Amino acid sequence: MLELRDITAGYEPRTPVVRGVSLTVAAGEAVGLLGPSGCGKSTLARVAALLHRPDGGTVTLDGETVTGWRHRAPRRQRTAYGVLFQQPRLSADPRLRLGELIAEPLRAGGRRAEIADRVGELAPVVGLTDELLRRRPHEVSDGQLQRACLARALVLRPRWLICDEMTAMLDASTTAALVAVVESYRRESGAGLLAVGHDRTLLARWCDRTVRWADLTGAPAARAEAPADR
Amino acid sequence: MADTDTTTSGTGPATSGTATSGGRAADGRGRRAVRVGVSAALTAAVVLAVLVVPLLFPLDRQAVDLAAKLQPPSLTHPFGTDEVGRDLLLRCVYGLRVSLLVGVVAALAATVIGTAVGALAGALGGWADRAVMRVVDLFSSVPHLLLGIFIVAMFRPGVWPVIISVALTHWLSTARIVRAEVLSLRSRPYIDAAVSGGASRWRVTVRHLLPGVLPQAGLAAVLMVPHAIWHESALSFLGLGLPAHEASLGIMVNAARGSLLAGDWWPTLFPGVFIIVPTLAIAGLAGAWRERINPRRRSELML
Amino acid sequence: MNAPADTGSPAAAAPPSGSPAPVLSVRGLSVRFVMRGGRRIAAVSDAAFDLAPGECLALVGESGCGKSVLAAALLGLLPGNARTAGSARLNAAGGTAGPDAGDGGTIELLTASEQELARTVRGRRIGLVPQSPAAHLTPVRTVRAQLEETVRELTGVRRSGARADAERAADRAAFPLDHLDRYPHQLSGGLAQRAATALALVGDAPLLLADEPTTGLDRDLVERTVDELRRHTDDGRALLMITHDLAAAERIADRVAVMYAGRIVELADAPAFFGTPGPRHPYARGLLDALPERAFRPIPGMPPELGALPDGCAFAARCDRATAACEALPVPADGVACHHPVGAPPAAPGGPTPAEATEPTGAQRSEEDGRRARTA
Repeated sequence: MLELRDITAGYEPRTPVVRGVSLTVAAGEAVGLLGPSGCGKSTLARVAALLHRPDGGTVTLDGETVTGWRHRAPRRQRTAYGVLFQQPRLSADPRLRLGELIAEPLRAGGRRAEIADRVGELAPVVGLTDELLRRRPHEVSDGQLQRACLARALVLRPRWLICDEMTAMLDASTTAALVAVVESYRRESGAGLLAVGHDRTLLARWCDRTVRWADLTGAPAARAEAPADR
Repeated sequence: MADTDTTTSGTGPATSGTATSGGRAADGRGRRAVRVGVSAALTAAVVLAVLVVPLLFPLDRQAVDLAAKLQPPSLTHPFGTDEVGRDLLLRCVYGLRVSLLVGVVAALAATVIGTAVGALAGALGGWADRAVMRVVDLFSSVPHLLLGIFIVAMFRPGVWPVIISVALTHWLSTARIVRAEVLSLRSRPYIDAAVSGGASRWRVTVRHLLPGVLPQAGLAAVLMVPHAIWHESALSFLGLGLPAHEASLGIMVNAARGSLLAGDWWPTLFPGVFIIVPTLAIAGLAGAWRERINPRRRSELML
Repeated sequence: MNAPADTGSPAAAAPPSGSPAPVLSVRGLSVRFVMRGGRRIAAVSDAAFDLAPGECLALVGESGCGKSVLAAALLGLLPGNARTAGSARLNAAGGTAGPDAGDGGTIELLTASEQELARTVRGRRIGLVPQSPAAHLTPVRTVRAQLEETVRELTGVRRSGARADAERAADRAAFPLDHLDRYPHQLSGGLAQRAATALALVGDAPLLLADEPTTGLDRDLVERTVDELRRHTDDGRALLMITHDLAAAERIADRVAVMYAGRIVELADAPAFFGTPGPRHPYARGLLDALPERAFRPIPGMPPELGALPDGCAFAARCDRATAACEALPVPADGVACHHPVGAPPAAPGGPTPAEATEPTGAQRSEEDGRRARTA
C-alpha cells in the first residue's frame, strides 16, 4: 500500500505546485495519473518515490510512515521503488555503458556478485543485446536507452514502480514493448504501479484505474475514482 | 531568431582534426583549424623551448658583460641585451621557464582546491552550500593581488611562496564553476535514479557528479595557467615574487623600467611579449577545448 | 560496411492529383556518417518524395530511424562527419509563394554552400518549427524582441515596419498580441509553441519543416498545435512534419511516409493508411497495431543497427511474412518497399517487383537523377 495523504510540495516555499493532494495505490495495483503538462503530477510522483521532500502531508509506504526523503530515506525504502522518467537521455549517466547503467543499483548496494546474472537475465527481457550493453548512451537511440533505464529500474526487484511519462518520447511499438515488460514484471512480482502521463488512451489501456489530476486537486478529501471518459 | 540561431550553431562541428569535413561549414571550420593549429604550435614551441634551451645553452647567472650593455637587437643578440649586457633572448626563455613552472603548478593546485570546495558545496547543498559560498565570497572580496602579496610576505621569497599565493587566490573561480555545474547535474533525473537505486551521498558525488564536472574543471585549470603567469609576473614586478637572481619575466620587466625611460624599448618589450604569447596560445587551445566539451557537440551523430 | 549502395530507384514519389509543381523534391537522398575508425552509419538511404504546396507529409518512424537526420540534411545542419548523396531540390513555389519569398529559382539543398543556405534558405524558404519551443526561444528577451529581430534579419525591414511585421507574424500563428511583451518563461507550453511557430512564419517560407513539434506536449496541446500547423498548410504552404506520434500524424497529414532503418518503406495517402485498407508494409502495419487504441502489441525484436544493416530488407528479421525473397533489397513500387506487402497477391518468388511510377499523373519527374557525392 502506497498512501499519499494531503501532500503539499513544490520548489519554492511560497508557491507549491502540489497542494493538499491525496492518492492511494493498493499493493499490486496499477494507477494511472492523468494530467496536463506542468500541472505538478511529476512532482507528486517524485514525492511518492521519496525523491522530493514535500512541504506538508504524509507518505505511508507499506504501512511505514516515511520520515526522510532522498538520502535521508533508508536505503531499504528507497530501493523499494523503481523509477522511470520521461527523457532517457537525462536519466542515464552519459559516461556509463548501458550494462554498467543497469548494474549501477547493484553496485551501489554492494551486490557486485549478482551483476552478471541479473543483467544477463534482464537484458533479453527488455530487448537489449550484449552488443548494445557495451555502448554508451550517446551511441544508442532514445528507445534503446529507455529500455536500459527500465532494466535499471527493475534490477533490484522493486515492490513499486513509478513511471513518470515513461513513454512520451517513444514511438508506438517501443511504448507497447516497454509497457508489456512492466506488466509482465508486475504479474510475476505483484508490484504496484503509479504511471503518470497525459495520454488518456494509453493509461486507460495500461492501468487498473486512472485518476485525473483535476479530480485530485479539486476535491482533495474525496478518494479518486476511476474516470469515465473514454 | 529561430533560424539565425541554428545557422550559427550549425557551422561548428567539433570533430577532431582527423575527420575531414563535408564542404558546407568549411570556412568556419577552416578558420578554427588555423586558430587551433597556431595555438598548438605556439604552445608546443614554448614548452619545447623551456625544456630544451637550458640543456643547450646553460645560463651563467653571474655572467655580466658591461661592454655589451643595452645593445639593440642584432644578429648576435636577436632580442638585444639588458642593462648589464646579458642576452635577452636567453634570459626570456629562462624567465618563461620559471613563469610556466609557477603557472602550471599553481593552476593545478588552485584547480584541485577549487574542485574540492565546489564539489563539496554543490553536493551537500542547503546550509553547507551557503556557508561555503560565503567563505568564497569573503576571499573574493579581497583584491587578488593584495591577498597574494600578503601571503608572499609571510614567507621568504622563492618559488613555493609564489605558487601558494597564486593557488590560494585563484581557486575561487574554479570553485564557483564546479559548484554551479554540480548543482545543475544534481537536478538531473539520473541522479534521482541513482538515489532511488540506493546510492549513498558519497557514491553519487564520486561516481556521478565529479566525473561530470572534470572536463569543466580541467578547462578551468588550463585557463588558469595564463592567470597564474600574470600573477607571478605582477608579484615579481613588485619585487615580492621570486628572488632577484631568478630570471622571471616579471623581474625582467621591472628591472628594465629604467632603461625604458631612456628610450631603450627592447628589454621591456620582449619579456612582455613572452608573457602575452603563451597566454594567447593557451587561451586559444582552451577555447577549442571548450567547444569540444560543449554538450551539444558531444556526440557527432544524433539520430 | 555498406557503402552508399543506392539502387538508384527514382520511384514512389509523385505528388498527388495533377497538382502544382512540388516545393521540395527529394530523390535518392542518402546520408552516411563516418565514425571514428572508419565505421559507416547509414542514417538515411535512398529517400525519395515530393512535397507540393498546401500538402502535409508526415514522416513517421521510431526514434533512431533516421528521420531527424533527414531533416538536418535538408537544412544543411548535419555534423561534419556526414556525407550526403542524391538530390533535394527546393523549387521556387510556382506562383503561390509570397511576394518576398526570396529569390526564386531551384536550389539544390545538398550542395548549396553554407552561406547560400543561411542567406536564402533557412527562415526564408524553409521555416523550422522546433522540437522544444521552450529551448528554442531566448530566455532573456521578450517574444516581441525576438520576432522583430527575426523580421529585421530576414526582410531587412527596419524599426517601425519590423514592429508591424512582427505583429502580423504573431497574428498568423495565433499568438495573442497582448502576450508579445512577455518572456518565454512566462508563457505556457502552448503559447511557447505558437511563438516558435510565429518565428518560423516570419520569412513567409513556402516550406515548413516541423521536427517532432509535439514531443512532450499533452494530448490537448498536441491537437491544438497540429491543427494550427494544418491551418498554415491550408494557406498554401508545404509542411514536412517529422514525428513519432501516429495520432498527431493522422490528424494532420495528407500523406504519410513511414521510415524504417533509414529507408522510406511506405509512402501512402493518409486516409488509406490510417483507415482502410490500412498500411501495406508489414512494419507500418505493426506500428499502427502497437497503438494503445488498437492492439497495443509491440513489433517483436528491435530495429537493426544503422551501422550494420542487412543487405536485404531491413525488416525481414522481425517480419512474419519474410521469405527467402527478402534477402534482396525490395525496390519501392506503388509506394511500398516490400516483397510481400499486405493485401497484395504473393509476389513471384525471387524477383523483386519492378519499379513503376505510382500515381500516373503528369508529375514532372525527370530531374536527372543526380546524385552527387559530396566530399570536401
